[in-house]
Amino acid sequence: MKWIIALVLVLASCSCTEKSQPGNGSSVTQVTEPSDAIDQKLMIALSQAKNFHHKAKVYISDGDTAAAIASVREILSLQFPSGAPEGEDVRNDARALLARLLVGQHQLDEAMNVVKEGLGSATRESFFTANLYTVKGEIHEAYAQAAEATDPAKAKTERHAAIESFEASNKIDKKLQDQLMEHR
Amino acid sequence: MPTNPDDMLDGRVPPPDEEATPAERAHAKTFADLVDKTLAGRTPAAMSADDRALLEVATVIRAAAGNAELATAKRTSIVEAALRQGVGAKVPATSSNVVPISRARAKAPWIIAASSMAVAAAALILWLRAPHTAILQQPAAAALPDNYKSRPADPLIGPIGRDHAGDASARLDTIFADRLDGYRELRMRGGKP
Repeated sequence: MKWIIALVLVLASCSCTEKSQPGNGSSVTQVTEPSDAIDQKLMIALSQAKNFHHKAKVYISDGDTAAAIASVREILSLQFPSGAPEGEDVRNDARALLARLLVGQHQLDEAMNVVKEGLGSATRESFFTANLYTVKGEIHEAYAQAAEATDPAKAKTERHAAIESFEASNKIDKKLQDQLMEHR
Repeated sequence: MPTNPDDMLDGRVPPPDEEATPAERAHAKTFADLVDKTLAGRTPAAMSADDRALLEVATVIRAAAGNAELATAKRTSIVEAALRQGVGAKVPATSSNVVPISRARAKAPWIIAASSMAVAAAALILWLRAPHTAILQQPAAAALPDNYKSRPADPLIGPIGRDHAGDASARLDTIFADRLDGYRELRMRGGKP
């Protein structure tokens, strides 16, 4: 009799143990939604970024660079879906344009900050980060040009820095192109 | 008219105060003997249908009166056998009317009941453990073609030349158009983007 009771208790404990394991014999109907599918949130963010770029183009054609800069800055504050690669790409491209506009306004330090923010927040190498390195090189060139008359040593240093930035850009471009060729 | 003068059930019905005939007295005595033999456990193997019917009626009347008793010898034998069994003594083989209940046989009903309970409990546990109808779809994202996914724009844009470094608007137009195609296709095929 006691053996039978013990058997029942063992069976019951086994049942409880297995039920406590997650995902085992779950009675829940699980319908997994694709987390990385193109969704409405992404399309809205892309659409808004597109509109800000068009506004900036209009301002640039009107010669209102300050308004164009403000419009491009709006792109940086857009909310893309978490982890969407397009979000990082669009923001870095906007940073490259913003830095160029700032260089045109002789705001080299601010331009350099914008570029460095983009490079610092990048989660992966892309043609857009390569473009940021290109713009960074252009900023170093602008620094060199500005220091040419007053500080030739600094100008030389900035030119070297510009070359390093262009090389970094080329390196990324080549690496990514090789990867794309392998996948084709 | 009686069809059979010897058959008292089929014969003439005499008036209540009429003196019994010798034949009737003889028949009554014969039937009384028959009843006595039956009560003594010596029922004749053969008798007439009328006698059998009357005998059954007499037996029922006697049983209903509550006077039926076992013979003294038999009664004593059964009582003694029961007492011996009660004190655990071995019951003589001759006393076959009372079947002794052994220790193992006494436990048999409990074992059967316990086994049934264990089987029922096990079945209940197995039923509770059995997974309910679960519709587990494979992650839809894994089955999605690339053009339906949010993904890096590098393959679409390619390397950005220095002379096109500021053409962010044109690149974004390209990205948007491509993603819009995927988004529309995904919606049309029934996906839930």
